[in-house]
Amino acid sequence: MSTTEIIAESPAKKLLAGHVNGKATSTMTVKEWKPWQKILFRIAFIFFICISIPNSPEWYRLVSHIDWSNLHYRDLYDIARFGSGINFFGNSIFGSTLMGYANWITTLLVAIGGGLLWTLAVRTRQTERKEYNILYYWLRVVVRYRAGIGIIGFGFTKLLPVQMPYPSFGLLNTNFGDFTAQKIYWLSIGIVPWYQIFAGVVEVLAGTLLFFRKTTTLGAILLFGALGDIVYVNFAYDGGVHVYSSYFVLLAAFLLIDDVPRIYRLLVQEKFTAPVYFYPDFKAKWQRFTRAGLKTATIAVFLVVLFYLQLVNFLYDPYKQPSVAGVKHLRGNYAVTEFRINNQLLSYSPLDSTRWQEVTFEKWTSLTFNVNRPTSIDLSNGGGDPQRDINRTFELTGTAGGRRVFHYYADTVNHVLYLQDKYKAIPDRRNRAAGVGGDGGTEKNLQAKNRNETSTGEASGRKNADNWISKQAWVNIGDEVKMIDDRAASTRRNREFAETPRTEKRNRMILKYETQDGSRIILTGINENKDSLYIVLDRVDRKYALSESSLQAGKY
Amino acid sequence: MSTINTNQLFAEPAHVNSSVDRAQWNAYSRAAFRVFFIYFLSQVLPLDWKFYRDLFSINWSDLQYSDIFHIAHYTPRFSAGAQTFGDWGILFLIAVAGGLAWTYATRNKNIDYDNLYYWLRVIVRYRLAIAIIAYGLIKFFPLQSPYPSLSNLNTSYGDFTRWKLFSLSLGIVPNYESFLGAVEIVTGILLLYRRTASIGAFIILVFTGNVFISNVAYDGNEQVYSLYLITLAAFILTFDIQRLFNLLILQKPTSPNRFRPVFSKRQRWIGYSFKTSFIFFFVILYAVKINAAVAKEQLALNNNKGLSNASGIYNVSVFRINKDSIAYSKTDPQRWQDVVIEKWNTISIRSNRSVIVDSNYAEAVGPAYANKLYEVEGSAGRHYYHYEADTINHTLLLHNRNKNYAGEKLRFHYERINDSTLSLSGINEHNDAVYVLLNKINRKYLLEVVAETGRQKALKL
Repeated sequence: MSTTEIIAESPAKKLLAGHVNGKATSTMTVKEWKPWQKILFRIAFIFFICISIPNSPEWYRLVSHIDWSNLHYRDLYDIARFGSGINFFGNSIFGSTLMGYANWITTLLVAIGGGLLWTLAVRTRQTERKEYNILYYWLRVVVRYRAGIGIIGFGFTKLLPVQMPYPSFGLLNTNFGDFTAQKIYWLSIGIVPWYQIFAGVVEVLAGTLLFFRKTTTLGAILLFGALGDIVYVNFAYDGGVHVYSSYFVLLAAFLLIDDVPRIYRLLVQEKFTAPVYFYPDFKAKWQRFTRAGLKTATIAVFLVVLFYLQLVNFLYDPYKQPSVAGVKHLRGNYAVTEFRINNQLLSYSPLDSTRWQEVTFEKWTSLTFNVNRPTSIDLSNGGGDPQRDINRTFELTGTAGGRRVFHYYADTVNHVLYLQDKYKAIPDRRNRAAGVGGDGGTEKNLQAKNRNETSTGEASGRKNADNWISKQAWVNIGDEVKMIDDRAASTRRNREFAETPRTEKRNRMILKYETQDGSRIILTGINENKDSLYIVLDRVDRKYALSESSLQAGKY
Repeated sequence: MSTINTNQLFAEPAHVNSSVDRAQWNAYSRAAFRVFFIYFLSQVLPLDWKFYRDLFSINWSDLQYSDIFHIAHYTPRFSAGAQTFGDWGILFLIAVAGGLAWTYATRNKNIDYDNLYYWLRVIVRYRLAIAIIAYGLIKFFPLQSPYPSLSNLNTSYGDFTRWKLFSLSLGIVPNYESFLGAVEIVTGILLLYRRTASIGAFIILVFTGNVFISNVAYDGNEQVYSLYLITLAAFILTFDIQRLFNLLILQKPTSPNRFRPVFSKRQRWIGYSFKTSFIFFFVILYAVKINAAVAKEQLALNNNKGLSNASGIYNVSVFRINKDSIAYSKTDPQRWQDVVIEKWNTISIRSNRSVIVDSNYAEAVGPAYANKLYEVEGSAGRHYYHYEADTINHTLLLHNRNKNYAGEKLRFHYERINDSTLSLSGINEHNDAVYVLLNKINRKYLLEVVAETGRQKALKL
């Protein structure tokens, strides 16, 4: 009942195959491009070159100051992640950032202008080429490496799962409705580190495939699919990284432009398909060595070195959670058994707006508690690259429910905790190298920084701020920069700690703690309002329905 | 620097009668094919008697979308319950035995394997399309993961299982769920056409591959089923994989599939009518039924047997047990901490009384929302009660919804003191006399506030 149509392979096809492998010198004529193709190419060339090159002076400054002898994973991440496109005219069109895409539009307009000028120039000078096959090849190389390096930088923070941390006690104890959608998505990945690794493998694999001509299509398809999903996730959950993820979708789509017709022809039309690729012929020895050298260097830096640095980060210094271990016997969930403020006993009521309700001491140097009083909420993603534990805010961002989170320095000789509120009204600028295309709220953070700088002079004075911990106490506390594993030391960390911390107004408490083995803790001291506190805490063995993963970042 | 030039214009070679492009069927590939032929047919054709038992128990005059979903979810099993990898093993052994018998029986016959391969692929394509579209449409509408209930919003993050958190996280973004569903529907439709089947199969490999990994990571219960779908997709893609590898990776000229059955007019007519009725039943009728169910559930929500104008979260300001008042406590296992009254007839109570988690994560398709167990599954921290209200005598009868506490009942007389205050007196699960005073809390949820105002404004909550 069926027959087949059968077609023989023509000898010419075999010949063609030989050409593609790059051995033959051909006398075949190269087809001339149509005028519209040439114009489109010129526009695309300008556009894609512009969005593949870093556009902020800050990126160049940061990258040129990298200490290659003592690297931090973030140094390489910064190289991989930058803002791009034409930003001379700002990042908005008619006052609107178009959800962050205005930069693309501006760049496209400039590219169209440039492409038309280019066309005019070559036509008036009568130097128009027949085709741009080789220039097109090089444009694809630029885009391939830009996309590959970029996605690898992003993927490694998942492959060694630190981008979405496992929830701390404080987050586990927060009601589901008290998170932002963005937080809920991040946490939903954070609870399954193995899944996060899988997502990281996909991204790193996609990037690696883009480094090689023959696997570019596969890499671009993976990149398109994975990042397409992430774009949608960012819109749905208001994740704030929609522009940067769309960026990879755009680059992947560009790389697939020639493959789509081929696949369509072969599968849908069921026709014989002969792909045509133009590759430069690297005849000279220096050309071959340069090519191999650059390729090897890229792979060595972004696959080998970055993997190692990211592993160190995962093991000793997970960038979204504080990395200094908390006091060993102050860890876990605590019930507030007794609470006195200015010697007045307050009995527990969920409606009381002063009394602490429950307390957690995290694995790291954080204390959290709940009070039934509205509190300001940090709505950022809590990412970035802060080295100081107090600025690592994933445990409080996007989280309400009256939860307060304090960082502490512990003087373990005198049993005193020096606590500072981790919430800051004006958040630090994050992802400085990323510029536009960074996390959500970059624009806001840029403005925030300006505000901060102008208000520095009026700030209440650095002297007061800096003397709240005595010299003797500092001796007992130690030097934060050295409190993590030696293997995680880096110039980047040293530099940030060498800077004087910016004057910032934070709530502060000084509390003395008494405990035998941590099962009961008595805290006494003064809170941020200079009220005296006396608090008795009893450890509760809280069983979670959520089962913890075997894989945990950090060393505590 | 010079260029390797190739001729862009490459006309398709003329039709020549030779067998160069035909799949080469040597003895090994024939033997392997026979085994896979039997294996895949036994996996996808409804040969399990249980299928017909279920089919005949459907009330066709009142067909529900869940009936179609269950047909679409068919897998052969040798025991009760969901399919296991053990079932695969048995089917594979049968296939090996059948393959050997076949080899012996046809040792002197000439069989057109291209033709068999074609028809096997057709059957697997349709089987996979049914499954993918069935899931796609319940996501599209979006029923698979409903928006979290008020009780869910008032449960600590750590009091949910991974599976529940996965589902809740998807439930807060219905339009993302619809998008995922749309991808599945389009992919399923691509499978219905020979020329686009491999593209559809590739998308399923990636998409359902992700579903499979999610099931493993989040302890979902569809691990076997999602891998089942992946094997079907892999089989469909195998047909073109060499061609695609040759074209896209080796970057060489590639011949397309040359095999297509030639049909008589009558055969073509049968084919079209089969395809049409297939699409009608598994796509159109199914979508219509889901749509009707969504409307019906909305109606059921509005006409539920719950207390009217009572939904909300309540603080338990007074709690007496056998006449003894117990002050607020987060540690006392008897003392209620807060109470949620849902829009439908569910009440949930938070206390320090432990909960044995109901972890039956059956795929949530079926009767109306109010009877679904979704709200209680995978959740600790609260006890969930389904209740019957007698609004004339002002009594409530509460049944614990968790199967680990089946039979547990609480009886109350209720009094609505004002719009936001409610008192309950009666007996609890231990037959202790209980009196509670409930005051509604006007609670705002960050999730909802930020959904409205965005993340760019300063916020105090």
